[in-house]
Amino acid sequence: MAVSQHPYRQDMPPSGGFEAIKYKRNLPVRGPSGVMILTAVTAVCAYGFYRVGAGNLEKRELQREKVWSRIHLVPLLLAEGDRDAYRRQQAALAREKEIMKGVEGWEVGKSVYHNQRYRPADSIVVL
Amino acid sequence: MTTYHDPESSSKPYKEPTPLPAHIPKVQELGTTSGPLKSAAFFIGAYCKDYNEDFMLCKNENRDPGHCLKEGRRVTRCAEDLISKMRDNCLAEWDKHWGCLELNNHEYYQCRKPERTLNKCMFEKLGLVKTIPGSPEGQTPIHEVKRPIYTGVQK
Repeated sequence: MAVSQHPYRQDMPPSGGFEAIKYKRNLPVRGPSGVMILTAVTAVCAYGFYRVGAGNLEKRELQREKVWSRIHLVPLLLAEGDRDAYRRQQAALAREKEIMKGVEGWEVGKSVYHNQRYRPADSIVVL
Repeated sequence: MTTYHDPESSSKPYKEPTPLPAHIPKVQELGTTSGPLKSAAFFIGAYCKDYNEDFMLCKNENRDPGHCLKEGRRVTRCAEDLISKMRDNCLAEWDKHWGCLELNNHEYYQCRKPERTLNKCMFEKLGLVKTIPGSPEGQTPIHEVKRPIYTGVQK
């Protein structure tokens, strides 16, 4: 009795049909591809190494410049130092002559070596 | 008995009071400090080349300080001459450059701007050119490179 109270209705798909089944993978784009990243990193590294190499060459030239600036000043400073050294040497010889004047056969400033090569004095002055 | 004291450990520096022997001609010592000398080094090298080389060849003969006094006086006189010429002609540029060197640890590469004005002035007034011997052929010498890699932090 209860069944007959409702009219018969066939169950049907919704109007317009079912929506398509989502069987395809859904992968949104997540940034540049690996190949691109690798290429970019390689390019950056290559440029960096190029700059390092160029910088090393430049450093060598800067060092050359520094060294030559010093080489150009060597004669000047050496000449000034030589005058002072000569003055001190002569004073030391005069002092030695004065001290050793009573000693027979003493040669002032005689080297202890049988060699004409110049040797700077071992001690400058005894204080 | 006398004891030996190392002069280095003396409380006050020892100064030899005896002057140069009278038969050695006097020469005015330069008295220029390291900054101006470093700034002028390449011009001294260019201007006094003959005297400097003569002196170094003489020193090569004998290292005795008394051996090359004459050549040494020539070297000093030549440098003195150049220094006074630089003071007369390019004093402002020179002051600027060596002041910059003093503030930058005596590094040339940090002071290219004042150096270029000084080089220009020296070439125009005295005809002296800064050249670095042994620089690779066919390349811009390092002091004339427009955009170097090594520069000061502040340009």
